[in-house]
Amino acid sequence: MSVALRADREGGHAILVATGPFDLAHATEVTQAVRDAEASLNGCRSVDVELAQIDRIDGAGAVLLARLLDRLEADGRQASVKGDNPEAARLIALYRERRTVLPAPQIRTKNPLTRIGAVVAHLPGKANDAFDFIGRCAVAIPKAAVTPSSVDWRSLPRLMQEIGADALPVTSAANLVVGIIIGLLGISELGRFGAISYVPELVVVAHFRELGPLVTAIVVAGRSGAGLASKMATMKVSEEIDALRSMGFDPVRWLVLPRCLALAVTVPLLTWVGDLLALVGGLVATVVMTDMTPHAYMEGTLKAITASNLLTGLIKAPFLALAIGLIACGQGLLTRGGAAAVGARTTTAVVLSIFSTIVISALFTLFFALMGA
Amino acid sequence: MPSRPHITVDDLRIGYGTRVLMEHTTFQVERGTIFAILGGSGCGKSSLLRHLIGLELQQAGRIDIDGVGEPSQYEGVPPFGVLFQSGALFSSLTLAENLWLPLNRWTPMRGATAHELVQAKLDLVGLGAFAEYLPGEISGGMKKRAGVARALVLEADLLFFDEPSAGLDPISAVELDQLIITLSRDLGITVVIVTHELPSIFLVADNCIVLDKAAKGIVARGDPRKLRDESKIPFVHAFFTRSSYDVTANPGG
Repeated sequence: MSVALRADREGGHAILVATGPFDLAHATEVTQAVRDAEASLNGCRSVDVELAQIDRIDGAGAVLLARLLDRLEADGRQASVKGDNPEAARLIALYRERRTVLPAPQIRTKNPLTRIGAVVAHLPGKANDAFDFIGRCAVAIPKAAVTPSSVDWRSLPRLMQEIGADALPVTSAANLVVGIIIGLLGISELGRFGAISYVPELVVVAHFRELGPLVTAIVVAGRSGAGLASKMATMKVSEEIDALRSMGFDPVRWLVLPRCLALAVTVPLLTWVGDLLALVGGLVATVVMTDMTPHAYMEGTLKAITASNLLTGLIKAPFLALAIGLIACGQGLLTRGGAAAVGARTTTAVVLSIFSTIVISALFTLFFALMGA
Repeated sequence: MPSRPHITVDDLRIGYGTRVLMEHTTFQVERGTIFAILGGSGCGKSSLLRHLIGLELQQAGRIDIDGVGEPSQYEGVPPFGVLFQSGALFSSLTLAENLWLPLNRWTPMRGATAHELVQAKLDLVGLGAFAEYLPGEISGGMKKRAGVARALVLEADLLFFDEPSAGLDPISAVELDQLIITLSRDLGITVVIVTHELPSIFLVADNCIVLDKAAKGIVARGDPRKLRDESKIPFVHAFFTRSSYDVTANPGG
């Protein structure tokens, strides 16, 4: 039998005779039947819904009939159920009785200016969180020096392995490719002026001073920074951080310091290995694409490697590493909520880490330029 | 004529690899009743539940859910709802979206009708005003009630609850128990609860089985109130009266 809600009218009174299955599987038909029946009730002051001929009813069918009765009553009409179907009557009564009357939903404005305003309004709070975390880290260093047992030193070798050594293949590959790119760019641009012999110097200066630390830091931020942030965020949402606090540990000293230290030690080493591989990349590109011999390239390279070129890059590396560590751990510790919050914080941590490394690198370049280094 | 049992478990053996948790386990759950699976920690209650809902495959024996057959082989609209211990709500979705998800997957309903059904289920569990909240913004008890609403949204006539009262304050636990009673009495739903919360057992359960780790199976069955008052089995008596019990002296329960 198909679903129907037939309206039998007698003056101002109507009987809606429900027939067929009123269940979830037929909810679309029930909705349509309810809509049609409702439209035919104009001018009725009282309505009875006859339940005796309903084949089968479940929560879905009961909800749709219950809401029909609610709407009729809200419209000022008398509405009730009748007929020998106690199960249907009980279900309808249950859903009517348990209905929550909600306030009208607030219309959320989509105005772009409002959105910009909301973002700006959150900035002071976020800046406050960031400074608070940096302050706690700054305080943690002297405290850690006074009480070394408050830092998880035993995890340091493992962290250096995970954060540094395990990242070596990917940072090396990235630096090698960047060395090749600089070499090819030099051949193309300097070759126009017959200055191919300056390609080794270009590779050294560009990579040692700027691109080496930056490329390494970006790769580490994407790989290890994301890992750190998600691990810390998961620890936060699963109450491991709270457990540490409850046992008297300072999470900044116990967790953040070893991670930042591991990054500060390993990122310069990764940068240094990356510099060497970039030289190899430049050498391969130049030797393959031009007449320059490997020996001539090496001579040009050795001439270009000065303390200034080498150190300006390597000095930056630990600062970039610290920025990655602090941002990743800070974002992890600020996590609130569940799995979705872990993902969101990890994304924020990676974006902020990469952006920060670029800004810090630029500030160092400006500083060295002003100092004439 | 008595109706066919809603769940029939026959000579079941479950375990992981060579480790057998439970064997020669046979019981039935009658339609429309509240059935409790009881036992101490590590006796295999939750493992049994995972087998009943088809997440794990038994080593031997038969599980038959009326109209479904073997749950691990069943495909299609889920014939039962499950409330997991933590609620297991999707944290990136609002409560309404959590309920809408199975509705969207298994029914053609969209728009106002779907919204009406979702809202009605949330109303039923007393969370009508929290439809737009994320799970992270509500309490543990509310999460469990939202989990019940999600389990109900496909109108299943069989619900499984894994430790529903765990981690709840006494008032929230009683509220959840009352909700379970409402579901069974008013909606005629068969409810299977895994628990070891005694107040909850005595309040809601019509029937129960008591599992014992040492016996690797059922050591008692029946009305929990009668078992509490009349059982002569030391483990069962100790379980229901919270008295101490020497496992080494009674390895078979």
